[in-house]
Amino acid sequence: MKRRTVLKIIALSALSTHLDAWGAMFARSSDKRAAWAWAAGDYKLQFFTPEENDLLDRVMELIIPADGHSGGAHAANVSLFADRIVSTGSDVANVDLFVNQAVSSDSQKSEWRKGLQLFQQEAAKSSIAEVLARASTGEAKPQTDLERFFVTLKQMTLAGYYSSEIGIHQDLEYQGNTYLYEFPECTQH
Amino acid sequence: MGNQTQEFDVCIVGSGAAGGFMAKELCEGGAKVIMLEGGKEVRPDELISHKWPYELPFANLRQEKQAYFYQGDVATSIRYDAQAGIYVDRARVLGGRTMHWNAVTLRYAPSDFREWTLAGVEDDWPLTYEELAPYYERVEQVIGVCGNDDGLEILPGGKHYLPPLPWRCSEHILKRATDALNINLISVRKAVLTKPYDERPQCHHCGHCMDGCDVSAIFSSPGCTLPKAAATGNFTLRQNALAREILVDREGLARAVSFVDTNTGKTEETKAHIVVVCCATVESARLLLNSVSPQHPAGLGNSSGVVGHYLHGHINNSAQVYLKELQGTKPVNQDGATDHVYIPRFDYRDSHRGYAGGYAFQVNYDSYMFPRQAMLMKGYGAGFKRQVRTMQPGYMILGGYGKSMAVKQNYVSVDKNQVDAHGIPIPVIHFQFVENDMLVWQGMNKGLQQIVSELSGDVFRDNGGPSGLASHEVGTIRMGKDPKTSALNSFCQSHEVKNLFVTDGSCFTTSSEKNPTLTIMALSMRAAEYIIKQRRLGIV
Repeated sequence: MKRRTVLKIIALSALSTHLDAWGAMFARSSDKRAAWAWAAGDYKLQFFTPEENDLLDRVMELIIPADGHSGGAHAANVSLFADRIVSTGSDVANVDLFVNQAVSSDSQKSEWRKGLQLFQQEAAKSSIAEVLARASTGEAKPQTDLERFFVTLKQMTLAGYYSSEIGIHQDLEYQGNTYLYEFPECTQH
Repeated sequence: MGNQTQEFDVCIVGSGAAGGFMAKELCEGGAKVIMLEGGKEVRPDELISHKWPYELPFANLRQEKQAYFYQGDVATSIRYDAQAGIYVDRARVLGGRTMHWNAVTLRYAPSDFREWTLAGVEDDWPLTYEELAPYYERVEQVIGVCGNDDGLEILPGGKHYLPPLPWRCSEHILKRATDALNINLISVRKAVLTKPYDERPQCHHCGHCMDGCDVSAIFSSPGCTLPKAAATGNFTLRQNALAREILVDREGLARAVSFVDTNTGKTEETKAHIVVVCCATVESARLLLNSVSPQHPAGLGNSSGVVGHYLHGHINNSAQVYLKELQGTKPVNQDGATDHVYIPRFDYRDSHRGYAGGYAFQVNYDSYMFPRQAMLMKGYGAGFKRQVRTMQPGYMILGGYGKSMAVKQNYVSVDKNQVDAHGIPIPVIHFQFVENDMLVWQGMNKGLQQIVSELSGDVFRDNGGPSGLASHEVGTIRMGKDPKTSALNSFCQSHEVKNLFVTDGSCFTTSSEKNPTLTIMALSMRAAEYIIKQRRLGIV
């Protein structure tokens, strides 16, 4: 067989595979059991110590608490999400993120550690809730290390919670990401 | 698997919107075509568009869904010498950016081709709307475009549209506001199928257009034009073939394309009578500038020094609005096909606006899954969480797309001292918005304010400076009548290398507020027809 013929066959077979796959896609649905380890709950900490994770978990739950409607940051394993993101700060090449503040490069790991230490020290004098309230007062224009850490902490909490199963399905009751053959025209407005 | 001995009629470099149409038209016209693509195919069943964030290692915060489109080191083998907020998009995948787009397909208006004549700025294109209109019509029929002919001079319509996308509640509310302001709000024109068409299924409204359409209801060249080219028996596709340079004969005409097989690292050549460059605005300029020879010491077809210059695209701003009428309502599926409506340019009616060109707004081009307001609201706790939840059904986003000027001082260069993983000098982006761009941006901000003021809702404005180029970069190998100030004639043919054509966005003389891809495809189709005629006459 001539080389050129081989190339044509390669090109055509690739494209015909493409055509065949269209139909198959409709039978495929997203498998929730494939949830990543941080979401599934059998995750092993990579960066934070168990003590740090415990503190993080408590603070994050104050930021997004459970209520009568849905679980909070604790139930959504957001502290484990944070560990996953912080520990792997720069190992993905394509890093154009929309939540840049929540992303940690290797150089930011120490800032997370310092931030948690600072939070712990302050909490020892009062309570976690009081420190969080104080840290949040400068959210618009953070001036102190504690205020700056609050912004980072909150962004991470939100990114983790609203990308979790609980955040998406329970709290927001998001209805999309499905195959909807007919999209209904709004008739009420 | 090299092609050193085989000589093709045409070698097309790049498989995106321009390359796909060029391949289809040439192959159907009887030419033996080889296409070189630096990336490889991502089959629909490989896409992870429908994955939930919690099924992904980084919850898609690192854009894992789109990583398929940026193969190799393409995302990092570039440098910017530009103002903040400037970004150019270089996909590397079979299909190029047709694998990763919202598919808004708008015709340029007659006035968009005549900036010098009408506004005294930039240059006129070397062709008119009337010359391109038949190709717009044919492209729209091939790819399938939904929408309407709205009878607007500023946004000419076609004759063969598929049914428009249904409107969401937020879009009906927006219509009340735009009507009050005497601003048009129309159904968007998109290369998205609202009914089965040409053996492709209709859209299933998942909102993942930018993550890759897993059924090819959105136009892509691997889902539409490349199979048509392959069906002729005249098409040969070479993937993982990253073009290094175009080689020339003693007369300075193109004779072959040198490329790197990114799997083996070996450099190979493919010979062709004609070379058509379709690698997109940055990469095409890079290829020509890297194609240095004694006959073309400044790069191929670049004795004018124009190649790489006149880089431009869109200038942007945006606002998120959480409509009071919809806040707190029961959540419904609002994903759809991202944009369903469009606000065409309206500032042209103001003759005292003080700038050339104008702006338009895309609406709801973003997913409803992540509550972006959460990142912008102050506070925390139960009340904060409840407020995020209450606001989410009211979400609407408006994105401004404004014209930026084609000026020589904005350009792409190559850095001989910094090479990519395959030893090819990388591109460097030099870009600063100019005065007219900033005036357009200010006008766009006023227009945006005007519209959101008519809406009752919580508004989050983009408070940063202007950004660009919105993946709509064009102009680096421009067409023109004068070979001293342009690289290509009106058929995208090099003024000085007669068997070299460039039909992607780099051939634009100027740009408008409209998305460029439909015009790219129409120009490519027109150039292909010209090549076929020239070949038959034995001229090229």
